[in-house]
This record gives sequence, C-alpha cells and structure tokens, in this order.
Amino acid sequence: MADNRPEIFMPPNLLKAKVGGTVTGLDTAAIKRAESAMATLKEEFSDWLTNDIEHLTATHKAFNNSKNLQNVGYLFRAAHDLKGQATTFEYPLIARAAASLCKLMDALKSHEAIPLPLVDAHVDAIQVIHREKIKDISNRTALTLVEELEGRVTKVLANSVCKNSNV
Amino acid sequence: MSGYRFDRLKILVVDDNQHMRKLVVAILQAFGVVHVHEAADAEHAWAMLRDVNPDVIFLDWQMSGMSGLDFIKLVRKDNNSPNPLVSIIMLTGHTHIDHVRTARDAGANEFLAKPVSVKAVLARLISVIEHPRPFVRTRTYFGPCRRRRPIDEYRGPERRGGESVEIDDTASEKV
Repeated sequence: MADNRPEIFMPPNLLKAKVGGTVTGLDTAAIKRAESAMATLKEEFSDWLTNDIEHLTATHKAFNNSKNLQNVGYLFRAAHDLKGQATTFEYPLIARAAASLCKLMDALKSHEAIPLPLVDAHVDAIQVIHREKIKDISNRTALTLVEELEGRVTKVLANSVCKNSNV
Repeated sequence: MSGYRFDRLKILVVDDNQHMRKLVVAILQAFGVVHVHEAADAEHAWAMLRDVNPDVIFLDWQMSGMSGLDFIKLVRKDNNSPNPLVSIIMLTGHTHIDHVRTARDAGANEFLAKPVSVKAVLARLISVIEHPRPFVRTRTYFGPCRRRRPIDEYRGPERRGGESVEIDDTASEKV
C-alpha cells in the first residue's frame, strides 16, 4: 500500500546565510530611505495615474464594443490595478470606486450578467474624480458618488444571488 | 540597525503594471538591494528564472497571460523548475481572506496586499529571511507549510531526530 502521508522538511536557510544580520525590529534607517525614495517618485504619480486611467478607458471602450471574455479580463485587470495603486498615487476614492467595479465583475460568474450601465457609471466616476483632482477621502460629493456605486453593486449582487437560488 | 546585507540578494519583481514594478523596485533599492530584476509577465519571469536565479520573487497575482497563481504552481511543481524552494511574496490588490488562502494553497510564502507600504515590503522581506516555513510534499501540493506557525517554534520535548520528519496531520495538509 502506498504511503500517502505528507513529507515535511526544513530546507537550509540560504537567505539568512546570505544576508546575515539580526532581527531587531524594522530597520528605521532603511524605512526612512525608502520613504524618501517614495517621496521622490510622488512627482511621477500623477502621470502614472493618468496612464492607468487612460488604460482603463481603453479597456472599457473595448468591453463596450464586444463583451467577450478577453475584454472582460482586460477591463477587470485595469480596474484591479487602480484598486491596488490609486491610494498610493494619492487618490483613495478612485481606489474605492475601482474596488467596487472589481467586486461587481468578480462576483458575477457570467460576464453576460454584468450590467453595462453600472460599469459605465464606475468608469465615469473614476474619470470625474481624477479630472477634478479629488484627493481628499472625505470629499462629500465624491464620497456620495462612490457610496452610491457601492450600494448599487450590493443590490445587483443580492438580486443575482436570489435569481440563482430560484433556479 | 539590523545589519542585513541586502546587497547580496537577488530579487525578481514580476508585475504587468510598469508603475507598480517601478515602485517596488525603488523601495527595494532604498533598502540596499542591488540586484533587482524585472519581468512584465509570468512567461518572461519563467524564462528568466534559470539565468537570474533569484533569492526572492515579488509576484503580482493578476496578470495577462499566465497568472501569478499558475506561475507559483509552475515554480513549485514543474520538473524543469530551477528552484522550487525559492521564496515567493504574492503582491495583490485582492484583500479578502479567501484570496490569502488561495495564494497560500498555491505555494506563496507571504502575501502583500496593495496598496504597498514601505514597512509592509520590509516586513515581508524580513519574514522570509527570519521565519522560513518548512516545506510540505503531498500528492497534490508542494510548497511552504500552510500552517502559519513554523515547526522550529516548537518548544516541547524533542521526540524525533534529524532534519526531515514525516507527520500524519491530514487535517492541515490534505493528502
């Protein structure tokens, strides 16, 4: 009879052998250097975000032209990039709107079920927040807009669950 | 000061978004990492593995073509993989606990949620250096032990000798 038990082994710690040192909490000097490097990059963040939003706009256009699986994937990844990076680029509400779009696209198993007007509304909101340079996470107008989008996504997904459970 | 010689490390950053690559590379270089290599997709990263032989890979999950998850499985399980034991830090905008589990089940060593911060990058790097997990081989999985606590933290009496042990713990590692 075959032995199906898991084998567990500890490989030699080559990383530790390479870098040496001792763990004494996070190296504050290294953190300061890296934060300084980030501050230098901040000058480029605006251009980077503009590029990412142009990419989102292009993938959205392709998605509207043909809602096939490939275009759904491109649009999702463009939104997912913004979800992950827009906060770093100082636009947290863009990250939140992009997260809402990702949630909508990720949760609906069939890409045919993705409601186009709600996708359009997310992309429009991201473009407006960027165009108006709204970096403040508590900006009343932008926050209301993002909360409205999140609420609509919640409703769509709830309806989707109801429909599936009635099948 | 930790006294780490990060200049001795070779790190590969794999992300199809050039801005995220640039950001992670800048942070690593500020830590003192000299040998930082970049790949814009998993296919190129796979091709670079043998030449670069990285010590650590920062890997994006969502990429066009081969996903980060599939890349990890390739590195861990493929017969042609140059280093199935390489440390992999999964970098992703996914933040739900189910995604963390999925990355762990694919064989990632660490999980780094975007937006990235300087402290989080350093913390994950130190974690793979100071707290390596044992590796597990089952019929369906090869990679770091998916239980969070490393076995070298065990403080009880030693009942087994040698570096390689076999345990019958099917509750945590499905066979």
